[in-house]
Amino acid sequence: MTVKICKIICIVSFFVLLIAAVVILGVSYSYYSDRLEEDLEQKMEYVSRGINISGPDFLEGLSANGTRITLIASDGTVLFDSKADPENMENHAYRQEVKDALSLGVGKSERYSETMSEKTLYYAQKLDNGDVIRLSDSQITWLSLTLSMLTPIIVIYVLAVIFSIFLSHSLSKKIVKPLNDIDLEHPEKLMEYEELTPLLSKINSQNKIINRQMEELERKQKEFNAITDNMSEGFIIIDDRAEILSYNASALKLLEASSKDEYKSVLSINRSESFRRTISTALMGERRESILQSEQGYLRIIANPVFEDNKTAGAVILILDETEKVTNENIRREFTSNVSHELKTPLTSISGFAELMKTGLVSEEDTIHFADNIYNEAQRLITLVNDIIKLSKLDEGVGMNNIESVDMGNLAEGICDRLSFVAASNEISIETHCEHRIIEGNRKILEEIIYNLCDNAIKYNKKGGFVRVNVTGSGESTLLSVSDNGIGIPKEAQNRVFERFYRVDKSHSKEIGGTGLGLSIVKHGALYHNAKITLESEPGKGTSITVIFPNKFKINSRE
Amino acid sequence: MRISFDEQLKLLHNDMIIMGALCEEVITGAVEALLDYDSDNTEQDSDVAWAKQNRFEQITQKIFEKDKDIDRMEREIESLCFKLILQQQPVAKDLRRISAALKMISDMERIGDQASDIAEIIKYIPNSSLRHKIHMREMSKAAAEMVTKSVDAYVKDDVELARKVIASDDEVDDLFRQIRSELISEVSKDASRGEECIDLMMIAKYFERIGDHATNIAEWVEYSVTGVHRNSEI
Repeated sequence: MTVKICKIICIVSFFVLLIAAVVILGVSYSYYSDRLEEDLEQKMEYVSRGINISGPDFLEGLSANGTRITLIASDGTVLFDSKADPENMENHAYRQEVKDALSLGVGKSERYSETMSEKTLYYAQKLDNGDVIRLSDSQITWLSLTLSMLTPIIVIYVLAVIFSIFLSHSLSKKIVKPLNDIDLEHPEKLMEYEELTPLLSKINSQNKIINRQMEELERKQKEFNAITDNMSEGFIIIDDRAEILSYNASALKLLEASSKDEYKSVLSINRSESFRRTISTALMGERRESILQSEQGYLRIIANPVFEDNKTAGAVILILDETEKVTNENIRREFTSNVSHELKTPLTSISGFAELMKTGLVSEEDTIHFADNIYNEAQRLITLVNDIIKLSKLDEGVGMNNIESVDMGNLAEGICDRLSFVAASNEISIETHCEHRIIEGNRKILEEIIYNLCDNAIKYNKKGGFVRVNVTGSGESTLLSVSDNGIGIPKEAQNRVFERFYRVDKSHSKEIGGTGLGLSIVKHGALYHNAKITLESEPGKGTSITVIFPNKFKINSRE
Repeated sequence: MRISFDEQLKLLHNDMIIMGALCEEVITGAVEALLDYDSDNTEQDSDVAWAKQNRFEQITQKIFEKDKDIDRMEREIESLCFKLILQQQPVAKDLRRISAALKMISDMERIGDQASDIAEIIKYIPNSSLRHKIHMREMSKAAAEMVTKSVDAYVKDDVELARKVIASDDEVDDLFRQIRSELISEVSKDASRGEECIDLMMIAKYFERIGDHATNIAEWVEYSVTGVHRNSEI
């Protein structure tokens, strides 16, 4: 703007000066030539009168003062000239002014010199005696006038241009300064220029609108961040080239990516096959869900395409931690298949024996043997079904509201007494060290816990082994421990023995018996009483299971 | 539509990640097929054995399919790289990335081939208790880990990780020598197992080669980040 103002001022002053110079030159020149003509006419008046009165001799005494005086006879012969010798001059009868004077009385003409630098004005008048007197005076032309004035004009010009540059510069700065100084944040504060007020008030109102919208956006962004950062589900937005646009902290945590790395492509977070396929399907415009198995557990990946103008512009990926759900599902599936397997085996043999007996071809001796087998299998089935019922009761929490004070020591000793016969037949000794600790709980379930632990300790033992049952306690908790020097549990199985139907011995052998549900019942019973189970075992050396009960019964939060 | 240079670079990066992931998957598949699914029928339960056999065939099938994918990706990435170099005349880091990618894909392609070769051999190996006796488990896991880590290093531009991969190649080489002497003693004990020993030897050799390729990939990762390849600037 400054430059433009400056330029305009300079151009204007240039043209003003130019026009002024031309006008001054023109006016002064015309004035000058008018004056010269008038002067010549006056001189003519004077000279012609003088000659008319005192004859040609009048001219001799006349000081010409720059003006050339020529006396020409009527035939054109020059009689007198104040500047030149009349003898050498040619006939003047055909000069324009003389011709005019001879015929009209007065003649006038102007002629330019060869260089055009001078103009000679001739003025002729016919005298009374028929001669012609001619006065001539030279005058500089407009061209030479201009030339002679050129130097001062140029000087003035240069000065004026320099001056105008300075002036325009400072002037334009001054004009522009208030504009530059406008505080666009608060435009209403200033105005030196009234003309800008509507613009500024417009800016002002728009500023307000923008600020409001910015605040709104910021608030929304904050809300969005608060939501996404606090949700436990992972959340990633990608564009159509699988570049990450936005993500939350949970996404990185679930996908086990360290947050310090800058991620460009979503594939750099996870590049497993199912993840890749999910992303590419979503980017092709189809919703897709998949389960991603990681070391930590299972993640459900849900990828939804985002459409813009009927084209996939990207995708929104949700990551859910489904470890618990998937493991529960697996356990349930395993349970179902185990239950059917466990139920099927005794039933198959029962139906087999019964089929044989049905034919009537079996001898009496064998019939008894078969019936015995059928009975055993049926007993096995009954135990199994009983165990399943107990477990499902524990699961549902049905009929277990009768909480009473139970003497754990008495209970344990009673159970050991009952089991001593079985133990003795297996050549296993039972040692009990039971203090009388009273805890609140469900007697039936506590009984099941102790019974199953002791039963296991006897079953999975060696000949001549021992089972030690201890009930001790301190303060608010009672400690039940059952240890043996039996076959032990291998390390990799220790985490799994509490699962339903989990058998360390995969062959599901019948020699030992058992349903595979005992420890599961223990676990659920302990859970019901808010008790903690610890298991220590070494294969070949023995197992020790400790259950720590709180004395006061508290409804489990799970229930 | 003309895609900008940056976009094309991102495309290249993505394709490289996918190809690396495929390499990882074929080698982990090969390891799984080798260690977990014996063609030998030791399971008592015929259902379980059948399921195992089925799963084994699925895995090997997958390996062959993915090897084909790797070959296809190699061609795609190669042409993308040439296009980038010819049309965009990249310089400095971009050029390093592209040329490193060109070198890496050939190593990745070799990994894919060798994994499918391993799968091919495993199919015909008879009894298999031997493979658990020798250090095959350690070696195959170490080689697979090298591939995973080298791809990780590429994905994250992690020079430290790349150097670790380069260092761990010696481990795989040592395991290879160990397996070799174990197999020699095995053959000298029982000459009838010669065929199995030779097959296992070949598998071990393939794993050793895979380790070398992973090292190469790691070296090119180091180059693409630092401009230094095998301690000399190029």
